[in-house]
Amino acid sequence: MYFYKTGIPQIDQATGGFDAGTNLLLLAPSLSYTEQLAYALTKPLPGEYAIMLSTNERASEVIDQYKSAGADKHFVGVIDTITKCSTPSVSDTERFMFVTNPTDLTGIGIKFSHMVEMIFDGTFSGKESGLFPPPIRFCVNSVSTLLMYRKLEVLYQFLHVMTAKVKKVEGFGIYILNSEAFDDKTVSLIKQLMTIVIEVKVERSDNYFRVMGIRGVNADWHKFTINKGQVVLAL
Amino acid sequence: MISTGMFGIDDMLGGGIPEGSRVLYSLEPGVDGQLFMISTLYETLEKGRSCLVIIPHTTVDAFLHDIGQLRGKILPAKENKIVFLDSVDRERIQRCAGKGSAAEREWQVRIKKLCTENKVDVIFGYFDVIYEDFGLEKGLALLSRACCPQESTIILENLNFEGDTLLEAFAARKSFDLILAIKSSFRPLPHFNYFTIMYTSWSTELHRSVPFLVEDGHVVPYIPKIVVTGPPEAGKSRFVANATELAMSVDRTGLGGNVTTVAMDFGRLHWQDFDITLYGTPGQPRFDPMLPVILHNAMGVVLLVDATNHGQLTRARNLYKTITRMHVPIVVAANKKDLPGLMSEEEIRKGIGISKNIPVFLISAQQESDVADVLESLVDSITRFIY
Repeated sequence: MYFYKTGIPQIDQATGGFDAGTNLLLLAPSLSYTEQLAYALTKPLPGEYAIMLSTNERASEVIDQYKSAGADKHFVGVIDTITKCSTPSVSDTERFMFVTNPTDLTGIGIKFSHMVEMIFDGTFSGKESGLFPPPIRFCVNSVSTLLMYRKLEVLYQFLHVMTAKVKKVEGFGIYILNSEAFDDKTVSLIKQLMTIVIEVKVERSDNYFRVMGIRGVNADWHKFTINKGQVVLAL
Repeated sequence: MISTGMFGIDDMLGGGIPEGSRVLYSLEPGVDGQLFMISTLYETLEKGRSCLVIIPHTTVDAFLHDIGQLRGKILPAKENKIVFLDSVDRERIQRCAGKGSAAEREWQVRIKKLCTENKVDVIFGYFDVIYEDFGLEKGLALLSRACCPQESTIILENLNFEGDTLLEAFAARKSFDLILAIKSSFRPLPHFNYFTIMYTSWSTELHRSVPFLVEDGHVVPYIPKIVVTGPPEAGKSRFVANATELAMSVDRTGLGGNVTTVAMDFGRLHWQDFDITLYGTPGQPRFDPMLPVILHNAMGVVLLVDATNHGQLTRARNLYKTITRMHVPIVVAANKKDLPGLMSEEEIRKGIGISKNIPVFLISAQQESDVADVLESLVDSITRFIY
């Protein structure tokens, strides 16, 4: 089985990384650098691919973020739900696909399938490594925005499908949810679809995370910063 | 009749969709099935009919660009009889009337007004957002003949999270005249898409599933692999050559001057709107290690035997056992019916051990019409097969 390295020593040393098929909820308050943490965790390592479903940033901004995290942009695909609203004539390419807004779950699902098929076919980047099944890191930034456009029940069903697809293709999925914006019922419903939860908190301008759901890794809070796409733990 | 814009599907439906019907294209999440409704929309407009398109999830400009990109052909809205209710209308309705019964009434008023003013023949609607806004029953009522002109045809696309349970309930309640489900599977091929005609109000014999490809903006029913196998010198290469438009065989001439297949036969054909690929196996037992490779992911198998050669039946029986383990549709073709010493169908069935539900055809592979009969039967079995 493939293991997705995280760059977090506590996880990588204890388990070798996240198992293929893992779905992870990143539960964090606003202004906690969670996006950077997500980019660090979904940055494709050599031989891997990343697909970002972006509800908050344009495709170009997502690519910039990945590049500054040290990723090779040829292995990153973006499903952009922002740009087409203001520029209806924007056309899909192999690595950038667009839907009008986060309401269009049909479009999002189809574009995700297209990207995964191209990765499997070896036609995605032109620089294929040959690993099979190809390791794919998938990120939704963020579930909170999707929840503003669709009802919780519908989104739960949609995420159920997406998490199942991630398992089927032996990928690794990260889903960002704002911990302050939704009630306990919403959070616990979304948690049900996940294998692992990483919680983030901010105290006196310092960021902390804890990991829940991995056997052998304790759920203590760790102070962290992000430096050039790497998670750096404070001693 | 309204054409679906997919002529193979029109044929399966008995000519198309009867006017005044209510149709559901149900999409499994992630399946590339948007072209089904778009094909019907393009065809309807090309026939000069007037359409209302309800797109609560997107704007008119984005929708026209998207469908133009999918179809490979821009739809000039101004040159066609087409009107829209889009996400901007939805937002306006929500701002003015919220999401309750006042909003429902406002949708009804707008639909009726547009239908009357533009003499709309066909209403196309993306249902899942309406479903979410008003619930299933009220959403269905909004896009029913109670709210739309009596004579209009209503065609809906729905992103179906509830699976076959919802579709079976629709069929039981006769909510639609046609339910076509578009799904995907990982077997027999990864990322394998197919559609199923789940229900029609005008026939009980149309329940069938067909794989499809999207090619150049069109939905093409597709059978990626039919394998023709059988004992040596049964006529497999001739069968593949006569069945297909483009065929190739990897042969070798033996010491006795007889030609035998040493790798495989290969051929492609476009038949009754289907794209089909045929693979023929070598018949000699020494090539048996290749059989699993060629049979892998086959969607149907033709077992071809020489109907004049009793000595081949044991070999045919062994091959039959191999292919029945694959659980795919099988047709047996007994070749060389025009030669003396022909066995009867009963003898062949008994000699090979063929079960009653598998058809046996007595054919001459030299005759293209005989070959076509075998293919027609197998394609029919494949389309009825539940994946």
